Amino acid sequence: MAQRSARIRIALAAATAVSLTVGVGACSSGGSSSSSGGGKTFTYWSMWKTGEPQQKVIAAAISDFEKQTGDKVNVQWVGRQVMQKLTPALNTNNVPDLVDGPVSKAYPTLVATGQALGLKGAYAAKAGNDTAGSVIPAKYLKDINIKLPDGQPWMVPYNIQTDGIWFNAAKYPQYKSNPPATWDDFVKQLDALKAKGVTPIAADGNVPGYNDYWFVTLMTQLGGPGSLKKIAADKTGNAWKGALPLKAAQKVEQLVKGGYLIKGYQAAQFPYEQQQWASNKAAFILMGSWLPTEASSYAADGMVHDSFPFPSMGGADSARVDLSGFEIPKKAKNPTAAEKFTAFFLQKKYQTMWAKDAQVIPIRSDVAVPKALTNAVKSLQTATSFRQQDDGILFPGYMEKVFYPLDDQLFFGKITAQQFVDKMADAQKTYWESQG
Amino acid sequence: MSVIESETAQAPPAARREKRGPATKRGRQFLPFVGPALVFYTLLFIVPTIGAAWISLHEWPGSGPMKWRGFHNYVALFHDTMFRRSLLNTLELLVVVGVVMFVLSFAMSLVLRDMAGRRVARAVIFFPHLINALVFGAVIGFMFNPGGLVNSALSGLGIDGHPQWLSADNLFPLIMAAMLFITTGYYTTILMAGVDRIPPYYYEDCAMAGANAWQRLRYVIIPLTWDVFGVCAVLWTIASVKIFEIIWIFGGASGVGQPPHQTWTTAVYTYVTAFGGQSIPQYGAGTAAAIVSLALIAVLVGLLRRLMRRDVIEF
Repeated sequence: MAQRSARIRIALAAATAVSLTVGVGACSSGGSSSSSGGGKTFTYWSMWKTGEPQQKVIAAAISDFEKQTGDKVNVQWVGRQVMQKLTPALNTNNVPDLVDGPVSKAYPTLVATGQALGLKGAYAAKAGNDTAGSVIPAKYLKDINIKLPDGQPWMVPYNIQTDGIWFNAAKYPQYKSNPPATWDDFVKQLDALKAKGVTPIAADGNVPGYNDYWFVTLMTQLGGPGSLKKIAADKTGNAWKGALPLKAAQKVEQLVKGGYLIKGYQAAQFPYEQQQWASNKAAFILMGSWLPTEASSYAADGMVHDSFPFPSMGGADSARVDLSGFEIPKKAKNPTAAEKFTAFFLQKKYQTMWAKDAQVIPIRSDVAVPKALTNAVKSLQTATSFRQQDDGILFPGYMEKVFYPLDDQLFFGKITAQQFVDKMADAQKTYWESQG
Repeated sequence: MSVIESETAQAPPAARREKRGPATKRGRQFLPFVGPALVFYTLLFIVPTIGAAWISLHEWPGSGPMKWRGFHNYVALFHDTMFRRSLLNTLELLVVVGVVMFVLSFAMSLVLRDMAGRRVARAVIFFPHLINALVFGAVIGFMFNPGGLVNSALSGLGIDGHPQWLSADNLFPLIMAAMLFITTGYYTTILMAGVDRIPPYYYEDCAMAGANAWQRLRYVIIPLTWDVFGVCAVLWTIASVKIFEIIWIFGGASGVGQPPHQTWTTAVYTYVTAFGGQSIPQYGAGTAAAIVSLALIAVLVGLLRRLMRRDVIEF
């Protein structure tokens, strides 16, 4: 009896072992079947999720593309985590043929790792009657480097995010007709609002990447696009001791000390203060062009979203342009079909849908944009130079561990402008030493 | 632990008679029984850990070529004020929350022992442990934002000049309080199981010997629940070093950005370094931080086991 049960136990254990091994094997081989089809089927991992307006536009384009070309697209609507999902996949042979994302996420994942394919072919491919390359405004690409060392672009951008100082045009029509042009004008307006008992500026202090808009924009308006990145690249940290970083920091200090920021912003969790702004509890908010869509669900009745560009600091003004678009990994098995699709998507038809349905700014400049974004787009059209989010700084961990902590302290009024630049100089020196 | 040990020690004589050459028989059983688990464990835990240790010696953005850095990532970690801060926060959670929680849990398990409606009370204090941390994250802004529920209530009572609950400096104490709220019930439940195990005749003996409440605690309850304490301490150590989601959520980072650096733990540091931010990922430095956390757990658990070691009292 005992021997028999022992045998049964051994058999069970063996069965478990076999099933485990099979299970693990099944896991590792999963998904390898996606690379089927002789160049006519390609896989696309999207940064959009099912149900989002952007997803619906891309899905419509895919459906048309499949009908017109006979190619097939295997699409996975992954969402914003697509680059996190892509990183481990790039170490395997199960790599999608097409992905999309903003520069700030695609560059670290694909370009810094040497895994991005040059997209000369996509730029030469047809987007309706034009080539894709000809509908992407060249003036953006002068300041925003999306080129590989061999000169080929690694992204086919289809979307632009810009920024602005947002206000309710129904309540403050004067800022629509006569926006403050310089920093001094701007501060005068802040004082005027304060005198009337209106909180001038809303901000959600718990998002370091929003808090830093003020310093980063002031710095790049003073020194031009790329000036902050150049300072950040200085291994000695001494670049912080120049005149411009201090001047920019002093303007932030001016906002804090002037009491222009909404009460309690240091302890507000996003989107609380943004909601306060949308309920007319503050006049301005410095935010990206996604704001009208994001705030639409809680905006006060009769709210008319509008924006004016960041005030001029004299001479080096620019407009913010953050590009999002398609990328193709080098390991893609069917890059040609994927390239063809990226160009196909830049047709006027889909770019028009993009602007209208998703209320965002398309890359093509010959497409009508949503009303709330008209002024934001106008500043893009008149600008001649362009800055990026965080001035394009993507040094490993630099923003997260060096810049944000100190910038937050400046923005919360815990340190002075002088202390900020001094501490940045020290912290940056240590940072570069540790990078080796 | 000791329960299992004592059970095997007291195996029924019939089973003992079966054993002919117990060592060889056990040896023969070892492979089929432990083997599958060992294979599984090796594949899923040991191999990745060795892999992580290997990656931690390199500079690597997650794919593409790796650049050898030797132990430089580890040296850099200890020069990084953010990592030192994260490590300190982790230890603060472990020690401060740990000590307060154990005192509370133990006190509660004693109170609940003779309380009427103890089952209901036990369920109520265990409940916060069942709630997903995301729920707390959703509620915290609603409660503690500048115009949130708490401040509105305070204003209603005529108290103005509210504390900045969610400011970067105040967030960590708030997180510690939340951790207490979430975990106390869990450990109370485990400790209560230990206290409940003590046969009532010990208490009767105490009463007859005229022992007061303190003596009863000192000479009966603590010695007889010591091993349960030990297990709880180890569980808490492991759990506290891995605290991540609550920091992430309380920092409001579920939507955008990252939690304020004043609240980072080593787990948050690891995540941000490897893949949290919008910059070139540092898998080497990230895994180095993870390996340091692992070493920290190993050392702490080792120390704790040694510290808590007592002869197990069988009863």
